[in-house]
Amino acid sequence: MIDQVTNALIALQNPDGGWGAIQGRRSNTESTSLAVSALKSLGEQSGSDRVLRGTIWLTERQNPDGGWRLNDVATAGSWTTALAIITLSAFPEQQKRVLNASRWLLVQEGSKPGILAELILWATGKSNVNRLNHDLVGWSWVPHSFSWVEPTSYALTALKKVRSSLTAENLNGRIQQGEALIYDRMCKGGGWNYGNSKVLDYALWPYPDITAVALIALQDRAGDQANQESLQALQKTADEANSGLAASWAALCLSVYGQDTSNWQKRVEKRFRETGFLGETKTLALALLALSGKSNPFRI
Amino acid sequence: MRRRDLLKYSALGALYPVVAGCDRSPKWQRDAFRKKANSRVAILSATRYDQPLKDTIVRGIELCGLDVKGKRILLKPNLVEFDPKGVINTNPAVIEAAIDSFRGLGAAQVIVAEGPGHRRDNEYLLSASGLFDVIKEHRVRYVDLNTDDVRATPLRSRFTDLKQLYLPESLYNADLLVSMPKLKTHHWVGVTLSLKNMFGVVPGVVYGWPKNILHWQGINNSILDINSSLPLPQFAIVDGIVGMEGNGPLQGQAKNSGVLIFGDDLVAVDATAARLMTLEPQKIDYLAKAGEFLGNLNQEKIQQVGERLDKLRQDFAVIDDFQKLKKLTS
Repeated sequence: MIDQVTNALIALQNPDGGWGAIQGRRSNTESTSLAVSALKSLGEQSGSDRVLRGTIWLTERQNPDGGWRLNDVATAGSWTTALAIITLSAFPEQQKRVLNASRWLLVQEGSKPGILAELILWATGKSNVNRLNHDLVGWSWVPHSFSWVEPTSYALTALKKVRSSLTAENLNGRIQQGEALIYDRMCKGGGWNYGNSKVLDYALWPYPDITAVALIALQDRAGDQANQESLQALQKTADEANSGLAASWAALCLSVYGQDTSNWQKRVEKRFRETGFLGETKTLALALLALSGKSNPFRI
Repeated sequence: MRRRDLLKYSALGALYPVVAGCDRSPKWQRDAFRKKANSRVAILSATRYDQPLKDTIVRGIELCGLDVKGKRILLKPNLVEFDPKGVINTNPAVIEAAIDSFRGLGAAQVIVAEGPGHRRDNEYLLSASGLFDVIKEHRVRYVDLNTDDVRATPLRSRFTDLKQLYLPESLYNADLLVSMPKLKTHHWVGVTLSLKNMFGVVPGVVYGWPKNILHWQGINNSILDINSSLPLPQFAIVDGIVGMEGNGPLQGQAKNSGVLIFGDDLVAVDATAARLMTLEPQKIDYLAKAGEFLGNLNQEKIQQVGERLDKLRQDFAVIDDFQKLKKLTS
């Protein structure tokens, strides 16, 4: 099965060396980062030339300020910078780029509601309708907007991976606040969705993929009760979702928590046979990482 | 967070006229929009999803005088999220019937495309909602608009501060965009119908999940700028067989409404749908503004065909913040 998934992933590589979201799509940083990590994890089997071409595609898309563009159309520094860091941190020769990107990441901040907005909410009696702590700052998808769980989690994972090599005054503070933000957004009973646990006093439910991404970012706090509850939530929601993406993320997350992943690997294989993961590069790459079990780029 | 953002920016939006003083210049390019003298909207009765729907949809399309021969059709349902206990999504039976209908009427190509606002897991959403079986059986391509290639698109109105909007290339490779929303109330803007459904064409890979930048800019404002800037003609088929009332768009209650609503003027379609829900479209912020330049809101300008509106009207419950919509003036 690993060979079939590998071949499917390899077949999606674009002539420019990168990967798009599916076949025929323009190369982008998210897909290319994950594909390079997946093929690199296989070692020599993967064909070093493909990894090299993917790495070159990535390095050529780093902006002078250190951030990574989404693709060749949306060229501003983006949330995918964290994924590029996670991938390239496995290449010693890319250390300088990785640190440059990490410094870019450290100055990116999600926005808070302004004073006027807070006043309006207070005046209309709606300041307590949501339990989120708006003072916590993490990372946003788009500059000048609110912090969300997924980009914050990727940023935390990236920064924790390079923490020992990075000298920056605000590093520990950003990490601590990012962690606090993720815990603040946890759904009742554990797990995360995009970052909102309640609307109009109605509880919202967690998603397996985002729960896994958040737990990976918090893997060095494995003993926390919230982590343990969320690990349970991950397994429940991934089972219900029954998708290649959910099963792959579950396997990758549980492996960094030292848990058995064999059932999830079987689920990944089953879903590949049934749906081919809809030909999505991201799921193919994560599935390959989950199945090979050789090296997990999300391990801090 | 979503709630608070929305509240905040809706409130800020309401204050804007005060802050901006007497700026009454239109926020849209005057020469870019020409409302039709009259817009035709078809209301057809359909009470169950397990009854044949193709004939009804063909009739709705034909009543609206839409010619799809040789055209590439992009069907855009609402697949924002999935809840096995809820009625969030456009029912797959309606999408299936639409695929059959457009093909039968001679469309050159039919694809189904959506950029779910909350979820990134297409395999899950498609499988759980039942849409996977439909696209597989009918050999229809599904496009995830969240990860599609994008093109920077200039805005033709200025309700938000966005300089441009990245839109999926698939919109540029189609001849007709068919918005297929669910007939639902919405706890931030009153109703979510064919205009609000266009949030799903905005790519998540650029704007994130949820598409929060649109909330920061104000949902009402964003609905207007997205719809005014779409690069292709549109048509709407509203799934009101079972709608949602109360705390929509995710956690409301099912409402058996027994209708499908059709039209090529999305403002007129949504205004008619709102009237069917016994909600006053003039009091729905984005609809009222859309009626100034995007399409026809006034009942006198809407030629309603098919079933009589008053025969199928239902009383949709809304949350307290939108009780003001309940008093119909038109």
